Amino acid sequence: MNNRILIGIGVLIVFISSFSWVQDWLGRKVDYNTEVKPILNKHCMSCHGGVKKAGDVSFLFEHEMLEPGKSGKIPVVRGHADESEMIRRILSNDPDEKMPKNGAPLNDNEISILKKWINEGAKWETHWSYKRIEKPQVPALGNFWNLYGLFDSENKNWVKNEIDYFVLQKLKEKKLDVSPEADKATLIRRVSLDITGLPPTQKEVSEFMQDESPDAYEKVVDRLLKSPAYGERWTSMWMDLARYADTKGYESDGGRMMWPYRDYVVKSFNEDKPFDRFTIEQLAGDLLEKDNEGFPKEQNLVATAFHRNTMTNNEGGTDDEEFRTAAQIDRVNTTWEVWQGTTFACIQCHSHPYDPIPHEDYYKYMAFFNNSRDEDVWDEWPKLRFYKGEDSARVERVKNWIRKYDPKQIAEKTEFMRVMEPKINAHNFIKGDQSTALLISYYGVKDKGNARISNVDLTGVGSIVMNMSTKAENAMLTFHLDKLDGPVISTIKVPARDTVLVAPVSSVSGKHDVYLSLKSPKSPEEWVRITWVSFQQALPGAEQPDYKQIVADYASVLTKSTESMPVIWEGKNDFARKTNVFVRGNWMVKGAEVKPDVPKLLAPMPKDYSRDRLGLAKWIVSRDNALTGRVIVNRFWEQLFGRGIVETVEDFGSQGSEPSHPELLDWLAVQFMEQDHWSVKKLLKRIVMSATYRQSSKSDKERIEKDPYNVWISRGPRVRLSAEQVRDQALACSGLISRKMYGPSVMPPQPDKIWQSPYSGESWVVSEGPDRYRRGIYTYWKRTAPYPSMTTFDAPSREFCQSRRILTNTPLQALVTLNDPVYLEAAEKLATTMKKQGKTPEQQLSEGYRMLTFQPIAPKNLNVLVKIYKEALGVYRNKPSEVDSILTYAKEKSPELAALTVSANVLLNLDNVITKE
Amino acid sequence: MEKLLKELQHADLHRQTRRHFLQSAGFGLGALGLGSLLGSCDSSGKKTIGEQTAQARIPQFAPKAKRVIYIHMAGAPSQLELFDYKPELEKYHGKDCPAEFLEGKKFAFIQGVPKMLGPQGKFAQYGQSGAWMSDYVPYLQTVADEITFMKAMHTDQFNHAPAQLLMHTGSARLGRPSLGAWAVYGLGSENQNLPGFIVLASGGRQPDAGKSVYGSGFLPSVYQGVQCRTGGDPVLYVTDPNGMNRNMRKQTIEAINEINRQTYEDVQDPEILTRISQYEMAFRMQMSVPEVMDVSREPQFIMDMYGVKPGEGTFAMNCLLARKLIENDVRFVQLFDWGWDGHGTSAGDNVEGGLRNKCRLSDKPIAALIQDLKMRGLLEETLIVWGAEFGRTPMQENRNGLVMPYMGRDHHLDAFTMWMTGGGVKKGFSHGQTDELGYYGVKDRVHVHDLQATILHLMGFDHEKFTYPFQGRNFRLTDTAGKVVKEVIA
Repeated sequence: MNNRILIGIGVLIVFISSFSWVQDWLGRKVDYNTEVKPILNKHCMSCHGGVKKAGDVSFLFEHEMLEPGKSGKIPVVRGHADESEMIRRILSNDPDEKMPKNGAPLNDNEISILKKWINEGAKWETHWSYKRIEKPQVPALGNFWNLYGLFDSENKNWVKNEIDYFVLQKLKEKKLDVSPEADKATLIRRVSLDITGLPPTQKEVSEFMQDESPDAYEKVVDRLLKSPAYGERWTSMWMDLARYADTKGYESDGGRMMWPYRDYVVKSFNEDKPFDRFTIEQLAGDLLEKDNEGFPKEQNLVATAFHRNTMTNNEGGTDDEEFRTAAQIDRVNTTWEVWQGTTFACIQCHSHPYDPIPHEDYYKYMAFFNNSRDEDVWDEWPKLRFYKGEDSARVERVKNWIRKYDPKQIAEKTEFMRVMEPKINAHNFIKGDQSTALLISYYGVKDKGNARISNVDLTGVGSIVMNMSTKAENAMLTFHLDKLDGPVISTIKVPARDTVLVAPVSSVSGKHDVYLSLKSPKSPEEWVRITWVSFQQALPGAEQPDYKQIVADYASVLTKSTESMPVIWEGKNDFARKTNVFVRGNWMVKGAEVKPDVPKLLAPMPKDYSRDRLGLAKWIVSRDNALTGRVIVNRFWEQLFGRGIVETVEDFGSQGSEPSHPELLDWLAVQFMEQDHWSVKKLLKRIVMSATYRQSSKSDKERIEKDPYNVWISRGPRVRLSAEQVRDQALACSGLISRKMYGPSVMPPQPDKIWQSPYSGESWVVSEGPDRYRRGIYTYWKRTAPYPSMTTFDAPSREFCQSRRILTNTPLQALVTLNDPVYLEAAEKLATTMKKQGKTPEQQLSEGYRMLTFQPIAPKNLNVLVKIYKEALGVYRNKPSEVDSILTYAKEKSPELAALTVSANVLLNLDNVITKE
Repeated sequence: MEKLLKELQHADLHRQTRRHFLQSAGFGLGALGLGSLLGSCDSSGKKTIGEQTAQARIPQFAPKAKRVIYIHMAGAPSQLELFDYKPELEKYHGKDCPAEFLEGKKFAFIQGVPKMLGPQGKFAQYGQSGAWMSDYVPYLQTVADEITFMKAMHTDQFNHAPAQLLMHTGSARLGRPSLGAWAVYGLGSENQNLPGFIVLASGGRQPDAGKSVYGSGFLPSVYQGVQCRTGGDPVLYVTDPNGMNRNMRKQTIEAINEINRQTYEDVQDPEILTRISQYEMAFRMQMSVPEVMDVSREPQFIMDMYGVKPGEGTFAMNCLLARKLIENDVRFVQLFDWGWDGHGTSAGDNVEGGLRNKCRLSDKPIAALIQDLKMRGLLEETLIVWGAEFGRTPMQENRNGLVMPYMGRDHHLDAFTMWMTGGGVKKGFSHGQTDELGYYGVKDRVHVHDLQATILHLMGFDHEKFTYPFQGRNFRLTDTAGKVVKEVIA
């Protein structure tokens, strides 16, 4: 048959089926997800959903709507709207029966949709985002629109890659046009800010401007992706998700060493670590491959600090278990928000109100995390310890000794020297006489005092390792078996200093209660503080002459306060925890015990995956996980366009917003997972190479009217820079910036009295030298008092995971870029360069504009600048003392430089400077 | 319903940043110049262009309190020395605490069996209403008939930071919006030159829970409290740099806005128009904030009434500033005063001398604030709330089982006193009662969430319906609890 005719018929079908009445006529069925579910969510679910199940009726799960309610009547009878109680109640005129009970009644259209749906069999469907991601056809490759010239030739030339076909299809539907490519200077500034967070250099811009080759832009993109600044820029996105901070949070909000984790993230992005690997390391790095000492790779352990960014509460009288639980809950919520784009927090107290996730699933999921050893103790154990110099030599001596005399012990002792686990934290002691809690988490005992340590497995145990400190002299601590006056298994003379000591213990087998008791007649009022205790095998080689020295080395290594950072460490055997459902979310009311599992809503965990965090992490990044690919791709898209394909990047559930380009989202996700093997660089390159991304961001009345928020992307993104970018750009364009990477966070100048935490001796000590001028991601982040200019530009305080920074536009932001000394220093430095670059004020001002925007200045705008320059010059010539006031750093103190500084202050505040165009 | 709400929120956010400029852009631009700005720079700001930093939602019913001053004594003063008179406790002074008070209880510091501690103040009844007050607060006695006391307050948290968070955000954990943020989110701001939610702190330290007690939590950051400081810049970066005079700053902002207008012409992004107006607002704030924070033009009798001298960064000064801010239509003024934690460990932190001293510094200005607002006819629609995060125990603290050098009381969550006056509350009224030792509330107990529900009610909001969607849930200030205390409403 003639192909033309076939195509013609095809076009005809496509054409007529775009009319909905024709679709009805052709037998189109009601769609549950797009038509029915929104009606249920709007009118029914708040009483008949996951929170409440009024009259025993719910529409949360398929089976529920088919079961009789309290009245005995069935809400939905498939195929029979007339017999369905739901419809009867909606249509009822009896005020006692009519539904919804308190809300506005359903309109006729809604009623007819529900009726039709039931009559058609009430087909239940999974929400789109919970269905496996299948690769959609790219419109250009199998669609009549394109074949039959409905993409006009102009658009054909516009298209750069597959993304554009998807976008174009929507634009045609919405009767919108694409925008032309942005000019080269705008484009290189946009793509540089997007990929590296920094503006391009003058040299990079002029090279690009001069490069006439067809792949000039691609060369820029490739160079940017290789830049070390790339990792820093994407780390700044990840930090909000990881709720990274340099302090513990809560009242005292003291410092903690977390920066190695931040550096790990920078390095991971820079080496383009596949995102699935990146995920697994952060969620389960401690469970990944071990070295020959049975210990994980250091970097993998550093990665697990992702989930140690939870807060620790050091305030007096707080219950460690309560805040340990709070941290576990935060880990569950954060994991769901970051990778699954699903708000799981509500399931803590009851089943999900709108999406079919039962209450128990929350705690099954929490069971994966619940074995981590951290218990909200003051010192935040477990921490990865970094040994240096003599200490590191001692560690080696101990290890060599063990290798020689009992290699089987190497794993236990390496583990203990590196993370000091497993151990019993003293807050778990059952206090007896003369006992108290010290520093919240620790156990204090005085003369004649005692305590019980319950259910200790003593099989194979040969030594007690414990941390204690006191001012008491000659105090003696004894350990008794099973009873307060039971057989003594160990006697320890308490040293009068803070120390870890290793003491022998008599050989006993089986599980026992161990009682400790203190005699301190000389200093009966002095407390002995015990922070933890660990029952271990004795170091081997007791018969060797150097044994004492090795035991001393071991104790000394453990006593030393080394650099150390919180990490996740799995508790096994006696140190594993049971997980129970918390009844209505109350951690003190425990319900049924649960085993680790993933919610049934999503694809099940493959049988061969271990039921621990490692298995969970692998499940999250498995091809069958319906959410991860979509959610992650959407996050990166949002960072570039200022708006996700799913606008609610944090909520892909039925309460989130619908994707604007669902096929594009799925296509990108499948490409990302299958084609690119989770390479973020490839994903980003694909996006920034598209014509969609390269469009000019200029708008006009028609575009603003038809698409005010640029949902359909008929123009390029135009978005205010992020908090970090505003700062970094001012430093970069003025030449102040330090590109030093990594290391402890720094303290650039901030106003006095920002830090005023009670009970904390810590203070903001302004960094010297290059550390004053480092990129925003290296700024010290204190949760209760974050760097003020950052929060003014919408950075969160990082107490919890935050997916989106909702951009505001406030006068306080203007005050920062106008008056913050950081921006004045940048203005002065910029002015110094401007002065060198031009002879006349006109040249100098034009140059300043070009340094920030890479564009020639329009004559009209130049006039504005010249005017302010001349005004300022007049003032400074008349009052030379003012010159010294405004110029703080420059050697040259001229009225001209002062006037240029004022002009540069204007430039740094221009809309097109603090906006990515 | 939820979906609709969420859409509304989004639309609202867009409106905040884009507002009505889309409609008015055609003819409004010229009028937005700095000329108009300078013509309207009186600090009341009412005559400026009709747009607001935060647009008001329509209250659910007519508000009785249009503005709030919330005075928080961080650390928690003892109700037993000030308002909750317990003659029985006097008799128990020095005796062992009854076991029933200790069973299953947790305290921050008390251990073993502490002794009871009798009231340290001399109590009498004042005003027509016969309100009980002690000699710690002689000035407040004079306005007794303006006040409603709630004497059986209770909370869930006995540590400062979580209890303060619970009091101000409805949750003991970080991350929720504060009462002031909810208020501005709900009612908007009426002054174009000043933030709608201003925080003043005294006592040398910030509240224990830090900025979160006046943060915006998951609400957009425009709703967070802006701390005005009494030393340095009253608002961060509000002062022009050295060497840049006012006129030059005006010209720089004109230049910025002129070029930005040109950019708008080119690219038509309505966000630019918002930016232009925010730079104008910044400029106005630069004048109005220092102006409202400047008390040099207050008459001497007012200064005397509050007991302040110019240049002081004291609580008394903050009370005076609170009145000025309220006069300028600031929606919510939050005062924090640090140093009320009377444990008895030192000369400063005890319920005898230390508390007396803190009262000496705060009693007069609080009474002055009430009288001053009344005098100006502002008290009727301004709600003043006074209180702390919890109360103090009827027992004397015995930290580490020791006898303390001074008379002190531990943190107590089962009973404490708060009071309110002005906007919509009864005058000369006392609600709730504690047992004869002041340990438990025995009648008309008011939980923190009930208080919050009541304050919201006075501002025109049903606390159960005033919500914001976040992480898939509709959050409200009162979490899942709270009942409006109808009895205290006039």
